[in-house]
This record gives sequence, C-alpha cells and structure tokens, in this order.
Amino acid sequence: MGRYDFRPLRVHSAATQLLETQRLRAEPPWYHVVANIPPSQPLVRPILNAAAQSKKGKKPSRMFQPMPIKYPEDQLRREFFSDHPWELARPRVVLEDDGKDGKRWEWSRIEQEGRALDGESVVQRQLYLMKRGGPEGQPMSKEAAYDKARKEFYAHRHQDEVERRVAREEALHVGAYFGKSALEIGMELEDKSYEDWKVWATKEAMAVQIQSQGGSLTTVDDEDAALDSEDPETVAALDEVEKSVPNNKKGQDAKGGAALHP
Amino acid sequence: MIIRHLALRQGRRALTSQPIRRWTRFFASQVDTVEASLQTTLGEIRKVEAFVNSRSDHPVSPVDADPSSTPDNDASPEENLSNLGSEITPHYQPHTLLTNPPSPSDITLELLLASGAHLGHNTSLWNPGNAKYIHGIRDGVHILSLETTAAHLRRACKIVTEVARRGGLILFVGTRAGQDRCVVKAAELAGGCHLFDRWTPGSITNGQQILGNCRMKVVDELDREIPDFEEQLLDRSVLKPDLVVCLNPLENYVLLHECGLNNIPTIGIIDTNADPTWVTYPIPANDDSLRCVQVIAGVLGRAGEAGNKMRLEAASQGEVTYQPAQGLKMPAEKKDGEGQASSGSAPVSELGFLQTLM
Repeated sequence: MGRYDFRPLRVHSAATQLLETQRLRAEPPWYHVVANIPPSQPLVRPILNAAAQSKKGKKPSRMFQPMPIKYPEDQLRREFFSDHPWELARPRVVLEDDGKDGKRWEWSRIEQEGRALDGESVVQRQLYLMKRGGPEGQPMSKEAAYDKARKEFYAHRHQDEVERRVAREEALHVGAYFGKSALEIGMELEDKSYEDWKVWATKEAMAVQIQSQGGSLTTVDDEDAALDSEDPETVAALDEVEKSVPNNKKGQDAKGGAALHP
Repeated sequence: MIIRHLALRQGRRALTSQPIRRWTRFFASQVDTVEASLQTTLGEIRKVEAFVNSRSDHPVSPVDADPSSTPDNDASPEENLSNLGSEITPHYQPHTLLTNPPSPSDITLELLLASGAHLGHNTSLWNPGNAKYIHGIRDGVHILSLETTAAHLRRACKIVTEVARRGGLILFVGTRAGQDRCVVKAAELAGGCHLFDRWTPGSITNGQQILGNCRMKVVDELDREIPDFEEQLLDRSVLKPDLVVCLNPLENYVLLHECGLNNIPTIGIIDTNADPTWVTYPIPANDDSLRCVQVIAGVLGRAGEAGNKMRLEAASQGEVTYQPAQGLKMPAEKKDGEGQASSGSAPVSELGFLQTLM
C-alpha cells in the first residue's frame, strides 16, 4: 500500500475476487451498477496552464497549477472602487435567486428593475458603453464611458438623496419622530465619558495633593471655610466653644497627650 | 399732463370691465347661480362623455349615474385592490430545498452556481488530487468547474437510483451542524437510513457488538413486513449498508475507511481540501455551503425515490428486480394465501432497520 488507499475505487474488482473465491455468496445489489457506471479516474492532473508548457521563461512545473480567472470588469471595478471607497460600505444583497439574475439585466440604461443601484451598476454600464455606447453603437473609449456611467450614477444618487430628504421633511411635518441621530448619540456618549473623566481626574488630583502634603488631613483654608458657615447651629456651637479656644491661629496647646505618654 | 396719463392708463381698464354683469348679479340670488352653473357643467361633461364614447372602444360610465349600480362597488375591497402595489416575482425560498427538493432533471449549472457549489477553499489548502475538478483561482480561492460537478452529480444520481431499484440499503450521512434536516429528508425519499450526529466507529467492522440488539425485519417485494422470522433473524449477522452517501467526508474518515474495508461503495462531496480517493464516487462541490449541500442531498434523495418507485412498479407487475436474501426459509404456513405463493424460492427481501443509525 502506498500513499493512497484505492480500495474505495476498487470495490467492484474486490467484490469480483471475493465472489470468485466464494467468500461472497451472493452479488451485492450494487455489483452490476458499479460495473455499468464505473467511478471516474481519480488524481489525474490535467494541464491547466498551457502557456507554461510552450513559452520560454515559464516554469514547466507551473503547468499543472490552476490559473487565475480574469474578466474585463476587474480593472474597471478596481478603478471605480478606488475612486469611491465608501460605495463598499453600503449594504448589498449577494444572494442569487436562481443563478440567472445576470441574464435579466440590460445595461443600455443604468437603472435595472429589481436591482439596487450600486457600484457594480456603474461597472456594468461602463462595460456596455465601451462596447456600443458611442453614436450609432460605436465603441466608446474607456475614460468617456467611465465619465458617462459615473455621472448617470451621481444623478440617480442625488435624486435618491433629495427624495429621501423630502420624505423625511414630510414625515416630520405630519408628526413623525425619528429619535436621536447617530451623531447625537455619539456626542452624548462622548460628553458622558468626558464628565466621568472629570470626576475621576478631580479625585486623583485631590489624592496627589493630599499625598504631597505629607498626609496632613485638613488644610487651613478648609478650616476657615468651615468656620465661615452661616448655619445657625454651627454659629451656636462656635459661640459655645469660643471661650475655651484662644484667639490666635495656632489654637489651643495640647494638654497631656505626648507629654503623658512619652 | 398727469391727468391725461391717468386717463390713458385707467380708461382702458374701465372700458373692458363689464358693468352689465354687475347689474344682473344684483337681481339674481346665490342659489340660482350655483344650480345653473351645475347644470351647465353637467351638460358639458355629458357632451365630453358622448364624444369619448363615440371615439373610444371602452365606453365611460355617465358621471351622474347611480353609484350603487356600478360594478366596482359590488366587488369586495380585496378584489378592487388586489391589482395594486408591486408585483412579487418568484424568488429563492430556502425552505423549498427541504420541503420540495430538486430532482436530478433539475440539475443545471445555474442552480449549482446560485447555490454556491463552485466555491472551494483557499488555494493554500488545496489537495492537488482535485486539480481535475478545478476551474481556476479567483480572489485566492479555488473555483470548481461546475460542468464537472454536474457530471459527477448526475453519475451519483444514477448510482443511487439503480441501487434503490435493486433493493439496496442506502445510508445518508451528514454530521455537520444544520445538515440534519436535509439528510433526514433524503433518507425519507430514498427509503434509506440517515445519520446526522456521529458515526459510532466500528458500526460496520464490529457491527455485531454495536448493532447486535437492533431490530431486523423481513419484507416482501411490495415492502410489506412478513412476521414470524424472529428465530431465523436471531443468529443472522447485522445489516450493512449497500451504498453510503456522505455529505462531509472530512469529518467521517472512519466511516469511509470502514466502507472501504467492507467493499461498500461510497458517494461523497469533495471540496478542494478533501482527498478524492476516500470515496468511490466524488461529487466536487462546496461542502461548507448549506444551500449547496441541501441541493445535492435533495437531488440524491429524489434519485433514490425514483429508483424505489421503479422497484415497486415492477413488483406490482410481478417482477422482482433484486436477488432474494440468502438463507431465509418461509416460516410454517399459517396464512394460506401467502404460504402457497411463497412456499418455494419466494422473493423475500431483507431490508433492515439499523436502529442506531436512524
């Protein structure tokens, strides 16, 4: 046995041998079927790249490699989408109904029934114009065809845009409510995260300040602010303790404390 | 000079104005005027109608006719409005591949293209043994040749039809997620077995241990079960499929290997990264697209259905299209009609139920 197992392909010959040696008593139901419809020959590598066989400078080893499939639209498509990259961001339907969708379209006009206008329409229209878009069905140059197809496309897009805007205005006029736009929602989120950052940054700055002051818990300014309060309860309490607090910035000396517990 | 100009400018207007009309209006009442204008308008409209009716093939109904007698008001609103709106053209409905699968005669390149059968894998993943089935490279992906796919699919259909016609047991296997419904449907159509969860390794090579407890039944040529064979079936070896259709060979190598060891022909969907020698009859197609797999399973199921139909038609005309099972004797005669007919070498076929496979 080599690299490949060919037993699945040789079921018929194996069954024949088993029948001859009486190890199979009866023919299996598939025996004549497989004899009449034999399997195809496997592992055949046809010449896929004929150029590599004949031309100089091509490696003969490339002879059996599949070749890239190219169409004339490819270059047109590349150019259109490099000029209009945002056309690729539009949603589009890639589902095929019955595989004959391409046969229903006729590119003597850019708009097709049952097909949304997109970049592919421009490419197909340009290809049509390049074949027979000139006066009396003459071929058109690539650039002229591109310009014509492109401008038709712009006109349709512009009309769509106007229609959409007018429809929106009409709906708003009769009382529709569309909610917030994407930009508004984005701005709100941005504002919110900025406010959150501001709270966080204030807290951080405070912590840094407290740390830099060697862990002192209160500042003089804070004390003054507390005493400036207009609250009648605070005023009454201050009046009560005023007698025991000396009237200077230093305040009362510690009595006991460190002296009592050296 | 100014007065003269004024007279020139305003005099013309004063002359063209109609003082007589003002006088008549002074005497006429408002109601009379409306009634009269309506009558004159109606008269004009009737004249227009008569003119249109004399020139056109489609007569218009009179404008002042009784509205309850017009035919449009007799019809229901649905009938009046049914021809309005956009026309819905026939379009792809995914469920129809399961409820009403395509038959082998429906295989077209368009159908295969629409179901994405041509899409292979990245070029770096290819198996060079599939070079014959590959049409080219597009965007770094191998594209399968749909002519080859259609040819191989038709060939596989013929195999399934013929095996079903000869009473073979066909097993449909598809163990990937989402393949269960199409596998069951195909087995149902072809009258075979299905497997959609996991192949128990050894179900063919070690079947006596794994499937030994499964029920087996004996049927006659019209697929009616014949009772009283239990004793004879006790020491009979378990059933093996006569044809295996595998929708995802990459995950079912063990099954295909066991089929190879036991000389069971296999049909499989071979993508560009699969080994075509694992199966007897490869169908080069995209095994990752559920739509494509459903098309292929449905087509093969329909092929099996056609084979079964041919077998039963022949049986109803007294012709049996397959060899009877070996080593089975008709049990002691209990029913006179059937016992006489099948006392000798009666066509008793053995179509089994592999319960664990179902």
